[in-house]
Amino acid sequence: MKLKMSLVGITITLLLVGCAKKELTPGVTDTEILIGNIQDLSGPMKELGYLLPAGANLYFQYINDQGGIYGRKIRMLVEDHQYNPQKAVAAAKKLIEKDQVFCLYQVIGTSTSEAIIPILEEYKIPLVAPATQSGTMSRPLRRYIFQTDTGYDKQMNVLIDYILRQDKNARIGLIYQDDNYGANALKGAAEAEARHKITLQKESYQRGASDFSGQVGNLMKGGATHVIIAGIVREPIIIMKTAAAMGYRPQFLGLSPTMDHRVAIAAGPAGEGYIAANFAPLWNSDAPGPVLYRKLHDKYADPKTLPLGMYSYYGFATATVLVEALKNAGKDLTRASFLQALNSLDYKGGSFPDFKWTRTNHGSSGKVVLVQVKNGKQVEISDWLD
Amino acid sequence: MKGRYEDEKLFWIPVLIAAVFLLPFLLKGMTNSYRYYLYVLNIAGIYMILTVGLDLLSGYTGLISLGHAAFFAIGAYLSAILVDQGGLPFELSLIIAPLLTGLFGLVIGFPALRLEGMYLGLATMGFGFIVKRMIIALRQWTQGSNGLQVSSPHIFGFTFRNDWDNYFLIYTGVVLTVVIARRMVRSKLGRAFMAIRDSERAAEAVGIRLAKYKMISFFISGVFAGFAGVLFAHTSHFISTDHFDILLSVYFIIMILVGGVGSIYGAVLGALFIVLLDNLAIPLFKDWLQTFITVEAGDIQSLIFGLIMFLFIIFQPTGLYGLWLKVRIYWKLFPFNPRKRFS
Amino acid sequence: MTELLTGLSQEVVSGIALGCIYALVALGFTLIYRATEVVNFAQGELMMVGAYVNFFLVSRISANLGITGAWMYFIAFMGALLFAIIFGIILDLVINRPLRDQPVFSVIMATISISIILRALVAMIAGPFTHIQSSPFGDGVVSFNKIAISVQDVFIIFCAIVLVILFYIFFRKSRWGVAMQATSADPTAAQLMGIPVKKVYRLVWIFATLVATVGGILLAPKTLLDTNIGFIGLKAFPAAVLGGFGSVPGAIFGGVILGIIETISAGTLSYHFAWIKEINDVIPWLVLIAVLMVKPDGIFGIAKVKKV
Repeated sequence: MKLKMSLVGITITLLLVGCAKKELTPGVTDTEILIGNIQDLSGPMKELGYLLPAGANLYFQYINDQGGIYGRKIRMLVEDHQYNPQKAVAAAKKLIEKDQVFCLYQVIGTSTSEAIIPILEEYKIPLVAPATQSGTMSRPLRRYIFQTDTGYDKQMNVLIDYILRQDKNARIGLIYQDDNYGANALKGAAEAEARHKITLQKESYQRGASDFSGQVGNLMKGGATHVIIAGIVREPIIIMKTAAAMGYRPQFLGLSPTMDHRVAIAAGPAGEGYIAANFAPLWNSDAPGPVLYRKLHDKYADPKTLPLGMYSYYGFATATVLVEALKNAGKDLTRASFLQALNSLDYKGGSFPDFKWTRTNHGSSGKVVLVQVKNGKQVEISDWLD
Repeated sequence: MKGRYEDEKLFWIPVLIAAVFLLPFLLKGMTNSYRYYLYVLNIAGIYMILTVGLDLLSGYTGLISLGHAAFFAIGAYLSAILVDQGGLPFELSLIIAPLLTGLFGLVIGFPALRLEGMYLGLATMGFGFIVKRMIIALRQWTQGSNGLQVSSPHIFGFTFRNDWDNYFLIYTGVVLTVVIARRMVRSKLGRAFMAIRDSERAAEAVGIRLAKYKMISFFISGVFAGFAGVLFAHTSHFISTDHFDILLSVYFIIMILVGGVGSIYGAVLGALFIVLLDNLAIPLFKDWLQTFITVEAGDIQSLIFGLIMFLFIIFQPTGLYGLWLKVRIYWKLFPFNPRKRFS
Repeated sequence: MTELLTGLSQEVVSGIALGCIYALVALGFTLIYRATEVVNFAQGELMMVGAYVNFFLVSRISANLGITGAWMYFIAFMGALLFAIIFGIILDLVINRPLRDQPVFSVIMATISISIILRALVAMIAGPFTHIQSSPFGDGVVSFNKIAISVQDVFIIFCAIVLVILFYIFFRKSRWGVAMQATSADPTAAQLMGIPVKKVYRLVWIFATLVATVGGILLAPKTLLDTNIGFIGLKAFPAAVLGGFGSVPGAIFGGVILGIIETISAGTLSYHFAWIKEINDVIPWLVLIAVLMVKPDGIFGIAKVKKV
C-alpha cells in the first residue's frame, strides 16, 4: 500500500512540475533550425539512404557557411526505417516528440511516407520533398506533403507518348516491380492506353529477383519493339543483358529510378541507347542547379566517399527547395508561416524545372526530360516534356 | 481446499495493474515528449498480446511458428476491412476478427499435425509468405501493396484519437490477455499442452488427444494474434504488407526467447524488453558510440540487436524470467547461497 | 508450337543455372543439418560474405598488385576459399559448440541472429554502396538453336556438378566421409567408436562455408552485389525440403527443379495465364507446403523414426 501511495505522490508532484511548458516553435532557435529526415539506412535501399542526405548536406553546408537563414544554421537528423512503414511511424514520432524537429524532409519510400500521413495531420507538420516519385503523394492533394518530383504515372504517359511519336506502330512492353511503385506506373500505363487506344504487354517481377529470362522471353514472344522498365538500378542492367544474350534488341526505356549512370557502366554494350525519364536536369549538364552541385561537391565532398551521381544530386536539389521555402517564411519562423510559404512557393531555383505550389496543388511541374546513354555516357535528348 | 493461485502472492497483481494505468500520468509529469514514450509502450503492449499467444503455442505446446506475422496481418486486415468497408462496429470487430483469425490458425494447424520441429517452422514460414501475397492479390479490398488507411478505434461512443487514449485501450487488452492466458495454463488445457510439449508419446499414452489439443493451441494462438492485429490496425491508422514480413515473425520469437520460453510473464517481459531495447536503448547507445567512432548509423543498430540476441540465447537460455527466478531464489537464500554445487 | 518449345527450353536452361545457385545454398544447409541437426538460417549470409570477400580481393589485386585477367580472378577465388576455411572454423566455435543439446528453437534463432550480425558487419565494413562484380567470362554467350546461355551460367552449372561429384566421392570413399556419416547417424556411438566428433563437426562447417562461398562468387556477377543477396538463402529452404533435407543429390535436384519452376512460371505460364503472376513469388513456398503434406521426407529422403 505504501508503494502505491508514494507512486501517487510522485505522480502528482511531477504533474505540477511538468506544467511549465515553453511556447516556442519546436526545432527553431535563434541560431538553428532542426530538420528531421527518415531514410532507409540498413534495408534494401540503404544506398539511397546514404546518398540523399549526403547530397542535401552539401547545400545545407553551403547555406550555413554563408551564415544560415536569418542567422539560423540548418541541422538535419537522420533516422532509419529499413523500408518498414511501422518503423517510419516510430521514427517520425521520435523526431517530432523527442527531438522536436521543425519539419520533416525527404522521407524515402511510398508506403513509408503514406504511413506517416496521420502523424503529419495530427501534429500539423509539413513533409517537404518525400523521396518518392509516386503520384499518390500529391494527387489527391495531401495537406502536409509537398512533392518536388514528377510522378511515375506522369512519366509513363510521357514515355509512351514519346515512343508513339517516334514510331506509330510500336508495340510497347512493360516490366514492372510488383509493389506500390509498379502500381503507380501501371496507373500511368492505363491512362496512356486509354488515350492512344493501345494495349501494353505487361510483365512483373518481385523485389530482389535476380533472373528475368522468363519475362524477357515473353516480351520477345509478344514482339515488343519498345520495353519500358519500372525498376530501380539492378533490374535494367540484368534485363538488358539477358535480352542481349537472347539476341533480342528492342529499344529499352526506364522510369526515373533507373536514371543512375551506373546502369550505363554495368550494362556495357547491352545498355547502349538506353533512354530514361528524369524529373530534374541531368546532374552533369550545364543547367544552373547541376553546375552549383558540382561546385559544392568539389568544395565539401570527398569523391571517394560521395561520388557524383543522380541520387546525391537529387538530395541536393530538394535541399534547395526546402531552403527557399524556409527563406520565404521570413525571419519570424513558425510552422504556420512555413506552411504559408510552402503553399505559395514559386520555385525558379534551377535545380528542378520551375514549379509552383499553391493551396490546391502540392505537386511538381509534371515535366520530364529524357536521357539517353550514348557511347557509355548519359546525355539529355529532349526538351522538358509534359 | 487449496485455491488455484494459492502458491502466489495475489496482492501484487492489483498493484501492478494500478501501476500500469498510472504510468502515463507519471510520464506526462516527467517529460514533454511523453507521447513518444507512450507510443513505444503501445507497440510493446500490442506485441505483448501477440507473444503471450505465441508462447502458448511455442512455449507451452512446443510447436514452432515462424509465420506469426501472418496471423497478425490477417487480424489487422480483417478488422480494417470489416469496420471500414463492411460497416461493422469496432466493438464487434474486436471479437469477430480475432475469432476468424483463429480459424486461419486451424488451417495452418492441420498440416502441423504431421510435422514437427524444423519442418513445422519452415511450413509456417511458407504460410507467412503466402498470406502476405494473398493480401496483395485481394487488392479489391486490401488496396494491394499500397497499404490501407484505417479508422480510429471507437467504443460505445468514445473515439480513441491519440497515443494517450490508445494506451488505455491497449493495456486493458494486455491485462485481459494475461489474466485469460494465466487461467488457461493452470487448467486442464494448459496441462495437456505441456504434456504434449514434454513428450508426445507420453501425452498420448495418458489419453491426451494430440490432434485436438494441437489444433486448439493453434486456434488460441491465432485468436491472440488476431486481437493484437485488430488493435494494431486501428491504433496505427495505416497498415501495409511491408509491415508483416518474415523479420517480424522472427522478432516475435526473439521476444519470447529473451523473455523466457514457457512462461506468460516471460512473454510479456520479453516483448517489453525488446521493444524498449530497439526503440530507446540502442539509439542511445549508438549516439554514445558515435562520439568515439564514426559508423553508419543504421547498421550498428542491427549489429547490436543481433549481438544481444545471440548472447541471450547462449548465456541465458531461460530468458529474463529465468533470470528473475534465479535472482529471487538468490535473495531468499541470502546469505546462505550454495557457492559450489555438485552437478 | 515451336515457339512455345523454344521458349520453354530457354526457360529450362536459365532455370537450371538459377537452380544451381539455390542448390549450392541448399547443399550447405544439408551438410550441416545431416551432421549436426543444426538448421542454419545464416547460410544465405555465408554466401553473401563469400561474395564480398571475393569482390574485395578482386579489386585489391587489380589495384595493388597490378594483376588483371584470368589470374586476378583465380587468385581472388583461392583467397576467398582460404577465407571460407577460416570462417568455417570460427563459426564452428561460435555457433556449433555452444548450441549442442539446445532445443531446435534456440538453434534456429541463434543462426538467425548470426545472419543479422553478419549482414550488419559486412554493411559496416563495405559501406553503403551496391557493387558491380565483373564476370571473368565477360558478357560471353553460347547459343544453339535460338537458345542462349551466358558463359557465366555454363560455369555455374559446371561448378555445381563438380562439387556434387566431389562430395559424393568424399562421403562414399574417404575415411572422413564415412566418419561424418557415422556421426550424423549417432553422435554418441560415433564418439565411442573413436571418431573425433568435434573435428568432424568442424569439417562440416568448413564444407558449408566453402560451398556457400563458391555460390556467392558465382552469383555475384549475375546480379549486383549488396548485403541483401543473402535473402536468396531463404528460397533454398524449399529446395532443400524438396530434395529431402539431408541428402546431397537431393539438395541439387531440389534446387534445380525449383529454379526451373520459377523461370517457367515467370515466363511461359505467366504469358498464358495472367493469374499466375499473382502467385509467382510464393510458388517455392506452395511447393514446400505441398511436399511436406504429401511426402514430408522429400523426394530423396528416407523416413526417420523419432526416438523417444
